[in-house]
Amino acid sequence: MTKGTEPVEGMDYFMQLEYHELLCPVVRRYAEALRAGKLIGHRCPKCGLVYAPPRGYCPIDVIETTDADEVQLADRGVVTNYTVVTPVQYYGQEETEPFAKVSIQLDDPGGALSLQDVLEVPVDQVRVGMRVEAVWAPPKERDTGEIGNRSFGSAAGAIRGWRPTGEPDLPADQIMQAAF
Amino acid sequence: MTTQPCAVVGIGQTKHKKRRDDVSLPGLVREAAQRALDDAALTWTDIDAVVLGKAPDPFEGVMMPELSMADALGANGKPIMRVHTAGSVGGSTAIVATHLIETGRHDRVLTVAYEKQAEGNAQWGLAGGRSGGMGAGGIFAPWMRSYIAKSGAPEHVGWQVAVKDRQNALKNPYAHLQLKDISIEKVKESPMLWEPVHFLESCPSSDGACAMVLTNEDGAKRAPKAPAWVLATAMRSELGTFPGRDPVRPQAGVECAHMLYDAAGITNPREQIDVAEIYVPFSWYEPMWLEGHDIAAPGEGWKMTDTGATEISGDFPVNASGGVLSSNPIGASGMLRFAEAALQVRGEAGEHQVEGATVGMGHAYGGAAQYFAMWIVGSTLDAVANKI
Amino acid sequence: MGTVPEIAIIGYAQSPSWRRAELTEPQFLFPVISDAIERAGIERRDIGFTCAGSCDYLSGQTFAFVMNLEAVGAWPPISESHVEMDGAWALYEAWVRLQHGDVDTALAFGSGKSSPGTPAEIYPLQMDPYTLTPLGIDPVSIAALQARAMLDRNLITEHEMAAIAARSRAAAKGNPYAQVSGDFDVDALLAEPYVTAPLRKHDLPPISDGATAVVLATAAKAKEVCEHPVWIRGIDHRIEIHQPGMRDLTESPSTRLAGEHAGVGEGKVDAAELSASFTHQEKILRNELGLGDDVEINPSGGALAANPMMAVGLSRFAEAARQIAEHGKHRVVAHATSGQALQQNLVAVLEA
Repeated sequence: MTKGTEPVEGMDYFMQLEYHELLCPVVRRYAEALRAGKLIGHRCPKCGLVYAPPRGYCPIDVIETTDADEVQLADRGVVTNYTVVTPVQYYGQEETEPFAKVSIQLDDPGGALSLQDVLEVPVDQVRVGMRVEAVWAPPKERDTGEIGNRSFGSAAGAIRGWRPTGEPDLPADQIMQAAF
Repeated sequence: MTTQPCAVVGIGQTKHKKRRDDVSLPGLVREAAQRALDDAALTWTDIDAVVLGKAPDPFEGVMMPELSMADALGANGKPIMRVHTAGSVGGSTAIVATHLIETGRHDRVLTVAYEKQAEGNAQWGLAGGRSGGMGAGGIFAPWMRSYIAKSGAPEHVGWQVAVKDRQNALKNPYAHLQLKDISIEKVKESPMLWEPVHFLESCPSSDGACAMVLTNEDGAKRAPKAPAWVLATAMRSELGTFPGRDPVRPQAGVECAHMLYDAAGITNPREQIDVAEIYVPFSWYEPMWLEGHDIAAPGEGWKMTDTGATEISGDFPVNASGGVLSSNPIGASGMLRFAEAALQVRGEAGEHQVEGATVGMGHAYGGAAQYFAMWIVGSTLDAVANKI
Repeated sequence: MGTVPEIAIIGYAQSPSWRRAELTEPQFLFPVISDAIERAGIERRDIGFTCAGSCDYLSGQTFAFVMNLEAVGAWPPISESHVEMDGAWALYEAWVRLQHGDVDTALAFGSGKSSPGTPAEIYPLQMDPYTLTPLGIDPVSIAALQARAMLDRNLITEHEMAAIAARSRAAAKGNPYAQVSGDFDVDALLAEPYVTAPLRKHDLPPISDGATAVVLATAAKAKEVCEHPVWIRGIDHRIEIHQPGMRDLTESPSTRLAGEHAGVGEGKVDAAELSASFTHQEKILRNELGLGDDVEINPSGGALAANPMMAVGLSRFAEAARQIAEHGKHRVVAHATSGQALQQNLVAVLEA
């Protein structure tokens, strides 16, 4: 036994916890619509805000929203904000190259999606005001198995990403420059 | 029901480092707590209640640590609570502890906040345990871009903040980052992490803890040193995502500040607050919070940085301790801001002391810039009144 | 410390306890909160402070509580906080906050989904990480050690444990929120095999998803809006040593201490809603709180009938308040617990 001058030894402890959560009805419906090539949201019957994707409630009015409040969203819009992430190699990380994540304000009836991927444009050319359209996976290749209750707007497995439409950019001062 | 004043009579913190391999989890927490007790000339048995705060448990892999740390915190037979409000937690924890004194519930409360994130993998935790995570900065980077575009601020302002806070940290022996050769060039040339935020504009990942001993007027009279008096506290939260939200100047932040100023009797924060410890984990958040809490007018916050007003020698020093940019044990960072403000008004900030500071502000935020916790401390109960 | 503040429960609501909820936590939480507010007879904007209780590891997500804010009505902004503990401690924080006198109404809630995870995997993480977590020591095993200690000292019999289970399930028939209810024969229960000796299935709580919300108000507000405010006459919480090997598991000194400070013994107790999630724990709690045979224990069925972690302690407050506001009781004890084998306990005395 020494007098406490030995370094404290560490102990690696890996634990794996599995959580299996039932998909709630509104996410099931969202995923079903994605497989059918449609982006859907809910419009709050009280305040009229469009939630993309639908949450099953309006958090501002604190009321339930249902299938009756479903709206089909445009799969085109404009980039309102973005960042280019240089990936940190943490445990489970699969990304190795810088990748852009954009926020998109969808055309009428509205709705905003965040953390979307862009395609067919170099990351250093991603810009606010860029008009984009969804790149859908072919119907047979759409797989919404990754979408869960907490996917928070991911269209993963159905929409591969968003590509520039080639239309002129919307002037930056015409759009709200925020993530949401 | 009326309330009684709350005094901070003991302050302690650990040396913050990337990895504190020399201490266990309880060891880290006790290092800060023992220093706070010693500072207050009190012992563990003098404490009536403990309020513990930290960020998500998966950062260390210990669920509800107040349970396994009850012994180490001297809490056997006492009330102990654990607060969790994301990044603002260190601040809200101090506020919960303050309430226990103000309402007369207890006479002496120990409050501690910590994170030992090298034990786990904070990047993984912040990514929600998945690939392709945005990291802490990825969510905020677009909002910083919005601020820069809207305010017309020159790009060097972010770099200035990064340099200032690290130079201040050189005067703080507890600070994690001790970057003697920090410079604008080094910041500018450091790798981009989340465009437009460079590596050196971003906070480190630290192991660390902070603790305070709070008491009432009676306790303050018996303390060996002059206390810092809690003149006002405020907490405000808002939804993180909804169509039309302004995350760059969150309304909850504006309201929190005004509730705080009203409660403290502050009518002109720029003039009446001598020193501020503001939660700035990414450089641009200094001007953003100066505006977001109405210390500077919209579009003017960056000028405070640019003109040197926020230097220790300036007229509104921000983060004399080095701030979150120099030390970021996530759960503790908010309490460090609160504690550093208290150190300042007690005249105990050593080399990073702001001369003559009598009114200090501590600030913390968390989540999608949606949770705010703030306090005003004074060297006397009428410190603000004396300014008017 | 001087006079007891006059603070009352003026509204409460619970979700049913489900074995596996189909809705997400915010989705089943928001009607519970709306319901509690409506029953309290106030407007949502009247609420001056909100406090939530929940647990990230239970939810399987860091910062899980953030989504629950959507169920509260947090726009325009509100003053709120969160404890990584049962909602009963959120109620305690709200109770303290109301004593400042600047706000007169507060909301406390607790919620959780235990169904997605596996308790035997998750709860070992709640133990000392150096000496106990690596053993994989799970809640049922610790409870079994505690029950064994009681049996060995003749402090309880397996028959008594089964009787507690049968009584709780029978009482739960009258509780629309309960998950496990019905008439069970004690001998039939005793004929079942052990799950983890000496505990059988009926000695264990169910795995539950659910939420509870309670609205508090200061005296003037309570008298203004509420016909039957339920006064919190005393409330206190204490923790004890963590290491099970250093505790006498047949006792709960923290419960005794909390009960004394809450003033349980200062008057006749009509009923008690106790968070005993294992049958034998009810006896320990009764002993420590001095509750005799004349006290009705868990008229709701208690945690043996419904155990939505992070809400179950606050549910005891809702049920205790119900006994007073709806069933004519005068003085009822509410108890919440945290950690294993009754390590941390919160006790309140509610009065008409």
